[in-house]
Amino acid sequence: MSEKRNIRDHKRRLLAAKYELRRKLYKALCKDPDLPSDMRDKHRYKLSKLPRNSSFARVRNRCISTGRPRSVYEFFRISRIVFRGLASRGPLMGIKKSSW
Amino acid sequence: MSGGGGLRSLISAAVTTGVAEAKGRIFGHILNPTGQRSPHKLLRQKLFGEKVAQWYPYDIKKDDPLVMARQEQDRLSKLEMLKRRGKGPPKKGQGRRAVKRSK
Repeated sequence: MSEKRNIRDHKRRLLAAKYELRRKLYKALCKDPDLPSDMRDKHRYKLSKLPRNSSFARVRNRCISTGRPRSVYEFFRISRIVFRGLASRGPLMGIKKSSW
Repeated sequence: MSGGGGLRSLISAAVTTGVAEAKGRIFGHILNPTGQRSPHKLLRQKLFGEKVAQWYPYDIKKDDPLVMARQEQDRLSKLEMLKRRGKGPPKKGQGRRAVKRSK
């Protein structure tokens, strides 16, 4: 079984992608000054009733091999520690250790 | 010369508004010179949920049997190495605390 937190994060990601359009529409409609204020209130309420895990603020970029939440390189999606090991062993294309 | 300056400023203002309108028409911008609150800024952004959902490249619920087998193999070989050096885990009843208690 892979990292528990990664599974949770994956769930959040799927939810966020699913509700993205709806969330955006509600947000836009409750910001629109042309609408009457009761409509805007209604949309704000609806926005607040969306599942909390479907928010993009809850998604965290995690290391795909160890699940480390911090210092994860977005390009490789792995943490600095895994990255260092892989880079020095050489399976990452175009990465070379250097010092100056 | 004050009248000429006023006229000039008027003309330049008209030109800038005209240019702004034309620019908006060409590039599909929405003019909002008074800075009113509008949902347009939110709506013009692209949807990125698809990309966010594809962070994990493998099926997160299922394990790759090859990878798991390799990990198990690594663990066993490491244990074997430790045992050969006499640094492996003690047998039951032979640990430090158990020895202390039996004295």
